[in-house]
Amino acid sequence: MSPIVNRAKERAARLVPMPRVPRAALILLAVVAVLPLIGSAYLMSILIKVGLHAVIGMGLILLTGLAGQVSLGQGVFYGTGAYVSALLCLRFGISPWLAMPLAAAASGLLAAPIGRAILRLRGIIVAGVTLTVNLIFFYLVVSVSDLTGGATGLSQIPRFEYPKVVSYTTFIFYAVWLLAVLCLILTTNLASSRVGRALKSVNVLGHGTEDTPQVLGIDVMHFKVAAYVGAAVFAGVAGSVYAHHISVIEPHTFSVQTSVLVAIMVVLGGVTNPWGAIVGSALIVGLTELLREVAPIVLGGPTGSYELVAYGVVLVLTLLFLPSGLCSLPARIEQWRRGRRL
Amino acid sequence: MEASTVLQSLISGLTLGCIYAALGLGLFVVYGVTRVLNLAQGEFVMLGGMLTVSFCSMGVPLLGAIILAVIVTIISGAALYVLVIKPARNASGSTLAFLTVGFAYAIEGITLLVWGWEYHSLTNFLGSSSIHLWGATIFGQAPWVVGMTVLMVVGLYLFFGRTMVGKALRACADEPLGARSVGISVEKMALLSFVLAAGLGAVAGATITPLTMTAYNVGVPLTIKGLLAAFLGGIHRAEGVIVGGLLVGFAEALSAGLMPTGYHDAIALGLLLVVFLARPQGLLPARGEAG
Amino acid sequence: MRSVLAVARAGHGPLIEYRAVSVSYGELLAVNNVSFSVERGEILCVIGPNGAGKTTLLRMTSGLLRPTSGEIWFDGLRVDRMQAHRIAALGTTQVFQDIQLFENMSVLDNVMAGAHGWTDTGFVGASLRVASAIDEERWMRRAAIQQLSALGLAGVLHEYPEELSWGEQKLVGLARALLCRPILLLLDEPYGGLDTEEIDRLSRTLRALKNEGMTILMVEHLTDIVMDVADRVVVLHYGEKLAEGTPDAIREDERVIATYLGD
Repeated sequence: MSPIVNRAKERAARLVPMPRVPRAALILLAVVAVLPLIGSAYLMSILIKVGLHAVIGMGLILLTGLAGQVSLGQGVFYGTGAYVSALLCLRFGISPWLAMPLAAAASGLLAAPIGRAILRLRGIIVAGVTLTVNLIFFYLVVSVSDLTGGATGLSQIPRFEYPKVVSYTTFIFYAVWLLAVLCLILTTNLASSRVGRALKSVNVLGHGTEDTPQVLGIDVMHFKVAAYVGAAVFAGVAGSVYAHHISVIEPHTFSVQTSVLVAIMVVLGGVTNPWGAIVGSALIVGLTELLREVAPIVLGGPTGSYELVAYGVVLVLTLLFLPSGLCSLPARIEQWRRGRRL
Repeated sequence: MEASTVLQSLISGLTLGCIYAALGLGLFVVYGVTRVLNLAQGEFVMLGGMLTVSFCSMGVPLLGAIILAVIVTIISGAALYVLVIKPARNASGSTLAFLTVGFAYAIEGITLLVWGWEYHSLTNFLGSSSIHLWGATIFGQAPWVVGMTVLMVVGLYLFFGRTMVGKALRACADEPLGARSVGISVEKMALLSFVLAAGLGAVAGATITPLTMTAYNVGVPLTIKGLLAAFLGGIHRAEGVIVGGLLVGFAEALSAGLMPTGYHDAIALGLLLVVFLARPQGLLPARGEAG
Repeated sequence: MRSVLAVARAGHGPLIEYRAVSVSYGELLAVNNVSFSVERGEILCVIGPNGAGKTTLLRMTSGLLRPTSGEIWFDGLRVDRMQAHRIAALGTTQVFQDIQLFENMSVLDNVMAGAHGWTDTGFVGASLRVASAIDEERWMRRAAIQQLSALGLAGVLHEYPEELSWGEQKLVGLARALLCRPILLLLDEPYGGLDTEEIDRLSRTLRALKNEGMTILMVEHLTDIVMDVADRVVVLHYGEKLAEGTPDAIREDERVIATYLGD
């Protein structure tokens, strides 16, 4: 065989992906595969919600957990993904399968200049700035009503073309959780790589300065913005799937409330652990459903009040006693047991 | 475009600007002294309004109701510090900010439980519903809002500049280690900053309720408006916060009054966004070196 | 990736040149019209009392600070207006006074971070773990373990910085810097907080590095220790260069004795 072909084959071989897949992820996949056969449609729709929020959350693992930049404004990119995907289908008639990557790319493209601008700032101020940008974006979307349908939003968004052997909900369930596991694998691999170390080096939320990575040759701004764009792409994909799942999107869904809630999910689950996005999402979504449906019946009082109080209490207690989130519980228990043995 | 429309927009802008500036000042006080971004600030404002409404409906005269509302809100501000912030005082800025978010959620939920969904309002402080001035119609409460903000600014200026306590607070903001070595209790100052912010918020809340009404969920948008004011102008200086607030207020009012309907919000907000992104550290330069 | 600018380097002449460098913070002149050179392969110490402007000088050299006036040249390239990470890519790194190990990573990861400039796995390669990414990771790991073992730290590979003693942290910081394979090593008060044995070991390590061709610029206020290691010394006083020369010459310099060594 000619040396050119050999060399090309060599080069191609070096690009073969061999991601490390955590055993737990395979177990999760197995559970996911089986669930629609035993669960109700209601459970499926809840788990779809968990999965979508977990995907957004994984973006935050990159941005906040690794790189230490708190974003309370991921709703901007969730919304961009949803609206762009919906509009591409409604206005140009393309398939949702094509619209999804385009919408994700749009989110990423939007994130780059915004990230460049606000990530010059350091400290917790960044969180407040993302929150503010989110609010401005929200009002903007509502007011440009010709394009976005204003406060009523967009409806009749086409569904994905899918094999008709299962119901649409089941299909979306599989799609969302496959996506979630994929994001989990990508994030896990990223975290233990050169890029992960570079991102962690930029994390000055504890004590530390951006000087140290700089003198090691790490382009701090590049990595901060890259993490921000990455998180935006995750959120954009989730938004797109959401739009084609529910077929109706309103600006309210991408409001500040959603952004803050997603951030809380990750913090509760454990912001440095990709599983934290799944755990936190399951906790909050589960808690919300439980309190929204059950509590007013049992305890009386307006719907919505109990979950607000619950979010608050759970968040405060977790941050005070398990500041690294729920995923750190096994490690903490281990530490405690070791301490007792001594 | 009539002169009276312009005048009306300017006055609305001033009123809104004062509201946002007052919100921003509450954030400024806490952040300046403790470096904590208090995302529960809007809840203090909401509580001020709701509690005043409740006390008034119980028959307490207006001034008394406001004072009682401020007292209860101040207690909640102290609670925020003592129960939530102080136990975690060595945690990262991120954890502290999320703790305030948790507190805000709890307050919102409890408020919803106690007061329910409805919006509540207060009558204007002097009873009259509107003032006519050179062809423009001003809400009767507007002068009170502007007056309150002016008093707040002057009061804070005197407090931080002239009183011992105020100076101690400033010392903590500028140089926490140095302040401690001179014997200033940084914990007490932190508590004071939260209490002060709660009080300011409550007064603002009571004053703006006749204009904007109040409900359990007005806290979050108020916090964000306060953030916008604070960040636009620069949260490291009080002057920045005030300028930021006025800017946002004027932008909102002028665009609503003077531009064609439909896109006015988008234009105003788009402009604000561009300005904001161009200079995210705030329009006013920080004092001395990087803030 | 090592900077393309590296190709343009001079390769001869002094490695660093400070030309009339000044830094002012408002009214205060932290560094005032300082000029001197650092020759290739030498260990040069900048000494002076605290507040003399030594750390400021080092920060400027790394690009963390811009001089208000004057120029800094590194291997024939003007660097005083360059971004810090680009200057690092030219072949230099700094170990700070407080080391600043990354608290959210293990010792091994900390040191592997030093090899960042020699590798180029990106987001895509890293998240998919392509073969080249795996190879690079393996190379970085081996190099890091080798470096840590050479400094006697093989036992703490997987510990976190907060569990280490001060002396150990200093060595990890040095290991991390050495993984950058710098031609110029900047050290800010490297001897601070060390006991006699650790001081000895550090001096031997620095001399060994010099023998391998590294240029070392360090800042210290523990004058006696430094006189042993340094080839040349520059004395700063209130931001101005007071004297420059071999340790012996400096010891005998009247001005220096009067203002500094005297007490």
